[in-house]
Amino acid sequence: MKENNPLSPMKARITEIHKMTDIEKLITLRFQDPKDEENFSYMPGQFVKLGVMGVGEAPISICTAKSDEPGLELCIRNAGRVTNAVHRQNVGDTIWVRGPYGNGFPMEEVEGKDLLLVAGGLGIAPIRGVLQYALQHRERFGEISFLYGVRCYDLMLYKDEILDYFRNGEEIGVKLYLSYEDKEDEVCYGLECEQDDRCTQGMVTKLFSLLDQRKKNSVALIGGPPIMYKFTVMELEKMGFKPEEVYMTLERRMRCGVGQCGHCIVGTGKSIKYVCKDGPVFTLWDAMNTKGMI
Amino acid sequence: MTEQLYKILSKENIEQFSYSLRSSGKIYAPVKTSKESHSFKHVESLKEADLGYTRTMIPPKKFFISPSETIFTFNKENEEYYEIQATDEPLVLFGVHPCDLNALNLLAKVYLESFTDKYYNERRENTTIIGISCTPDEHCFCKSTGTDYAKDGFELFLHDIGDRYLVRVGSLKGYKLLEGNSSLFTDVTEEDIELYKIAENERLGSFTKNLEMSGLQEMLDLNYDSPVWEEYGEKCLSCGSCNLVCPRCRCYDVQDHMDLNLNTGERVRKWYSCMLQEHGLVAGGHNFRATSKERLRNRINCKGSLKEDMPNCVGCGRCTTYCPAEIDYVEIIQKLRGEIQ
Repeated sequence: MKENNPLSPMKARITEIHKMTDIEKLITLRFQDPKDEENFSYMPGQFVKLGVMGVGEAPISICTAKSDEPGLELCIRNAGRVTNAVHRQNVGDTIWVRGPYGNGFPMEEVEGKDLLLVAGGLGIAPIRGVLQYALQHRERFGEISFLYGVRCYDLMLYKDEILDYFRNGEEIGVKLYLSYEDKEDEVCYGLECEQDDRCTQGMVTKLFSLLDQRKKNSVALIGGPPIMYKFTVMELEKMGFKPEEVYMTLERRMRCGVGQCGHCIVGTGKSIKYVCKDGPVFTLWDAMNTKGMI
Repeated sequence: MTEQLYKILSKENIEQFSYSLRSSGKIYAPVKTSKESHSFKHVESLKEADLGYTRTMIPPKKFFISPSETIFTFNKENEEYYEIQATDEPLVLFGVHPCDLNALNLLAKVYLESFTDKYYNERRENTTIIGISCTPDEHCFCKSTGTDYAKDGFELFLHDIGDRYLVRVGSLKGYKLLEGNSSLFTDVTEEDIELYKIAENERLGSFTKNLEMSGLQEMLDLNYDSPVWEEYGEKCLSCGSCNLVCPRCRCYDVQDHMDLNLNTGERVRKWYSCMLQEHGLVAGGHNFRATSKERLRNRINCKGSLKEDMPNCVGCGRCTTYCPAEIDYVEIIQKLRGEIQ
């Protein structure tokens, strides 16, 4: 972030673009100022404001864990004015970044515990960062169960990685469970036939029936569309998760990222919060205390 | 030494004093702009001002966060942007009421707290603020919100005690103003203190509107699903006037404006309103506050929330005075509290 003005972005160049689905691209970028590159540190669950001059900025979840690899990887769904402009950019084009913003998942706090990761649709972006972090520091975490819900195979993100975890994850202590909504989806049906104790047709919440009994020392970390939270929380409560053991990252309109512009406000007079600054990661306890959060 | 922090300024000398203030900057004071409207405008002489005003429609926040301001210009071909240097000329705000002073103090917290906003910072440092006491009208409830008295956030504060002002010093800058004009000010006498007591008792006795603040936050929380929101949501036009006139509202939008050459342009920060439909809209079409009921509830809850023990509402009465649908802010809360049906 620039010193003078929180709204001043850093210059970056697009170095790679991978088409993941018809509407999602994975974009890798490098900061142009070596100082920016050096200083840019983050935790999974934090987000950046990604901008195209003349169009505007959009909040985008960081989908990796910080590593020695230079650059930043962002998964962009073509969903609005700005992300549409991002999708029209080519390798070598300039793009502008501010951040990182928000609190991120408290990875150090949950060390020593089993992790239950739940992701729906594009919500996999921040959760993938959590998984990468846990794998970078594998010895600090217990078993990792990862529930991922997609609409259909064509819309599955990070397909190669997901299928690799699905088939070989146990070698690194990751159990990946997959749900798909489209009943006609032949590829997903094929995966279900391959491992029917790991894959099922239905919403992501259906995967809970496939899980082993919960061990006490575990936490849940969730990312998904707004509708997913309520139902996922119900399943987690059934499993015995306590309000302070559930972390979720929320989506809101976030214009400034620094708690000034007011768009991401949530809660009542008793519990007003700014999702961009106080979140975007909140515990279920926060949500219980903040009406309208989920 | 302490008596030097209180002085008396005769109303006869105020004109003279304002001339000397010109060296601190361009003077802006409340000017009557229509039968029922006042506005902070540039004045050459305080004779143009109406210091007995009740409220301006647009609060003095406009001097610190501009309704629309360019953050930077950009050139796509050069792949660069150019930050705008704040070159605001020094100015004097003459005649700011306690509610607005308190609102500015809270705004400063937002803009200077974790991420210092250089525009806000420079403007505040460039500004000399002279506060003035006032008499409440039927919409004022600043006594309820505890903002009818300004502890700080000004250089000098003028208490009207008849034919003279009791002047309170609020900053070192203010103290220096007194020093530089010592011939215009006299020491406070016993009589002045008596006059001050009378004026204060009169002012405090003339409030007609009361908002019960005790436990307001809990009351708002418990009333999240109250039918009152529906009732007022139906009346609300979602026009956002309440936000524009509120001295504490500071939501903003950031927009890019492209020039016709499709190469250069600017990024602009503009006042925005939580009552407008797009306020909670995200890409993909989901709106977290799609109905006027939800937006009204959000606004009242935001106003009722506390920032370091200070309410987000300073009781200036502007939102009620200027609401085209005649929605009364205090009345909503009285209904939520069950004080009225």
